[in-house]
Amino acid sequence: MTPYTFYELKNAVVGIAGLGGLGSNVAVALTRLRIGKLILTDFDVVEESNLNRQNYFHNQIGQHKVDSSLENLSRIDPEADLEGHKVRLTPEKIMRIFKNCQVIAECFDRADQKQMLVETVLSKMKKTVVVSVSGLAGYGRSNEIRTRRISDRLILVGDMVSGTGPGVPLTAPRVGIAAYHQANAIAEVLILGTRASRPQAIR
Amino acid sequence: MSAILKINGTKKTFDEGLPPTLSELLNNLEIDAAMVVAEIDGEIIERKSFAQTELKEGMAIELIRFVGGG
Repeated sequence: MTPYTFYELKNAVVGIAGLGGLGSNVAVALTRLRIGKLILTDFDVVEESNLNRQNYFHNQIGQHKVDSSLENLSRIDPEADLEGHKVRLTPEKIMRIFKNCQVIAECFDRADQKQMLVETVLSKMKKTVVVSVSGLAGYGRSNEIRTRRISDRLILVGDMVSGTGPGVPLTAPRVGIAAYHQANAIAEVLILGTRASRPQAIR
Repeated sequence: MSAILKINGTKKTFDEGLPPTLSELLNNLEIDAAMVVAEIDGEIIERKSFAQTELKEGMAIELIRFVGGG
């Protein structure tokens, strides 16, 4: 594929928790970067309503998202090292499945699930960095989506306030912006380490 | 007696004294504990310990709030 491969990415292992609007797109970007290995997890199947923002195709409706993602990513790079788990993540499963990951991408939809994953990684997986997303619903306001380094092991993407709800849909462009922020933050932390940027408070 | 906490980098004064625990601080700020990750002085506090985590003058508290969507 690409003639240029980042040395630091070649042996990296990245976990992706959830293969919806964030995870399916983060996985595409990381595959194109030729990341060493991706560990993909989701419990759900592709539905027609997912196609407005998630990286799946009409003929994949009804298929498991893990199988569909493995298929799509292999079409980008047949040599990509991919591992899929059809599972609903719990703290115990996060610790087991993502044990060898340097970085975990939090790509869940529900706020309480985001909380569960970030708390688990920060409290139980002391060598792992988590890149999480909060606030990406709606359209426009591209520049309000930011990447903040909260601490050595937590990077937070989003505008921090735009939750999804009645009248506030999730859209391909804004979810895509957040997903590519997330993938870019993962590349940066793997290549340069967390010292590349200074911690920032959330305000 | 007033007391101060540093919350997400900003000093907040409590004129009636500090909320005794992290749970009560979240109630006071109207934050749902199920959707927040908390750090005190750089240490992560698990959600199950919020009610037993006592607050002291001058603590630096980071509250990372999550909203839905992905």
